[in-house]
Amino acid sequence: MIPMQRDLRLDNVGRRYGLRGPWVLRGVHLTVTPGDLIRVEGPNGTGKSTLLRLVAGIDTPTEGRITGRPRTAYVPERFPTALPFTALGYLTHLGKVHGLSRPAAARAALEWLDRFGAAAHARTPMAQLSKGSSQKVAVVQALLAEPELLVLDEAWTGLDAAAREELERAVAERTADGTAVVFVDHDPSRLAGAPDATYTVRDAGLDLRAERAAAQPVGPLMTVVVQGTRGAQLPADAARTVISAEEPEPGTHRVTLPASHSDVLLRALLTARPPWHVVSVSQDPPATEPRPTPDTESRR
Amino acid sequence: MTALLSYQTALLVRSQRWLPPFILYAAFLGIGVQGGQPVLDSLGFTAAGLLPVAAWLVRICVTNEPPAARSCVSAAVGPGRAHLAALLVALSVAALVGTVATVVVTLISDPVSADHQTRVPRLPAGAAGLLATLACALLGTAVGALTAWPLLRSTGRAVPAMLLAALLAVVVTGSPAHAAVSGLVTGSRSGTVPLPLLPLAAAALLTAAATAVACALTSRRSP
Repeated sequence: MIPMQRDLRLDNVGRRYGLRGPWVLRGVHLTVTPGDLIRVEGPNGTGKSTLLRLVAGIDTPTEGRITGRPRTAYVPERFPTALPFTALGYLTHLGKVHGLSRPAAARAALEWLDRFGAAAHARTPMAQLSKGSSQKVAVVQALLAEPELLVLDEAWTGLDAAAREELERAVAERTADGTAVVFVDHDPSRLAGAPDATYTVRDAGLDLRAERAAAQPVGPLMTVVVQGTRGAQLPADAARTVISAEEPEPGTHRVTLPASHSDVLLRALLTARPPWHVVSVSQDPPATEPRPTPDTESRR
Repeated sequence: MTALLSYQTALLVRSQRWLPPFILYAAFLGIGVQGGQPVLDSLGFTAAGLLPVAAWLVRICVTNEPPAARSCVSAAVGPGRAHLAALLVALSVAALVGTVATVVVTLISDPVSADHQTRVPRLPAGAAGLLATLACALLGTAVGALTAWPLLRSTGRAVPAMLLAALLAVVVTGSPAHAAVSGLVTGSRSGTVPLPLLPLAAAALLTAAATAVACALTSRRSP
């Protein structure tokens, strides 16, 4: 796919509802570069969803400017079932709206429904879907056209465990392909260790809480042992999310990274020229001790 | 845009919410139009009745999609275009219904003036009726666009506002719909077929402006 040409930039953006309403957000600066994974945090009702609606282009800022709109897809927190289509019918329509041809849209819809374990519901009317299944439909409509910017507003809420992991892997794949992803999730271990930046919405403003390097992983980790040609370095784009890497003996690398991103690393290594040899892949037990708070933005 | 229009059309057709305005329009025509009546009078009636139907269709199309689903489409194509598609589908369906009604009414009516003395040729009368019908479909779309989300959010205010605005658009002198319909009625009295091009152009302009306002506001009002 073609990565987006320009960064999406929010310049001094503010948003309020109504002419005299209070400012929900004000003075927000944010740059979203292709391939970025950005996490937005903050207590309930502080304007996270408003920020995501601005980033997704659904809302226009009351003041300030947003430039560089890429092809965007959005997943809302709760997806309604009050639509007069089957799951596949709705997704085919949305795939076409996203710019796919009808056959390509239907094919991609079935493929993604299958990945999220909802292939059996393809012909089920939306009105009969459970909350979890309809959330899968919401996620699939956003992923099926390979957008340049993916905005996830608590998209994991309501999904079963398998689908939650699949969505993490899908996000890892998309960012590896150059899609920028901006997400909000109440679970602090969501894609832990992977975001390039974490922001906190506070007092109607946006604070950069942590750059990638400072983030402490708390989610499940994978350790991958691979062998490459002597002196070979891990591919830079695949090594972005790596938490620790060591070279116990020349040519052999032991790499630890978030479980969500292990497939992306393996794919990059196996398709590299010359390809790497995978010696072992093992899942580390998730960290149990509470993570040391990397900063005190929220405690100040 | 084609994909958006087909999505919105499917939403409208499958929702079955189009049924009440259709039944009402059919009943209105059934009561007001009978075979053998002067053609221009009946065509004026057909056109005037379409205006509230068009406004109602806009209301259906605009409120058909749950807000979260609308957000998904808005992110993909921009909220303005998503709203424009809904308005265009409502207008097209209203225009289609109006055209069918006009053809039927032209065929079953008597090609004579109101006093049954002067002959009124059927084809020009039908064409004039079609132009008036389109003017009413356009103005009804404008009324619907200005009395639904994002301009008016609460149903309690929006529906009475829509009904009142639709009524005024038909009866108030100076409204393009009123000009088009009264042109047909006076034409029927004198036995001459009017050509309501000016009302049609005025209705098109007003509707374009109303559509632009509604589409521009979609991303500025809360969902």
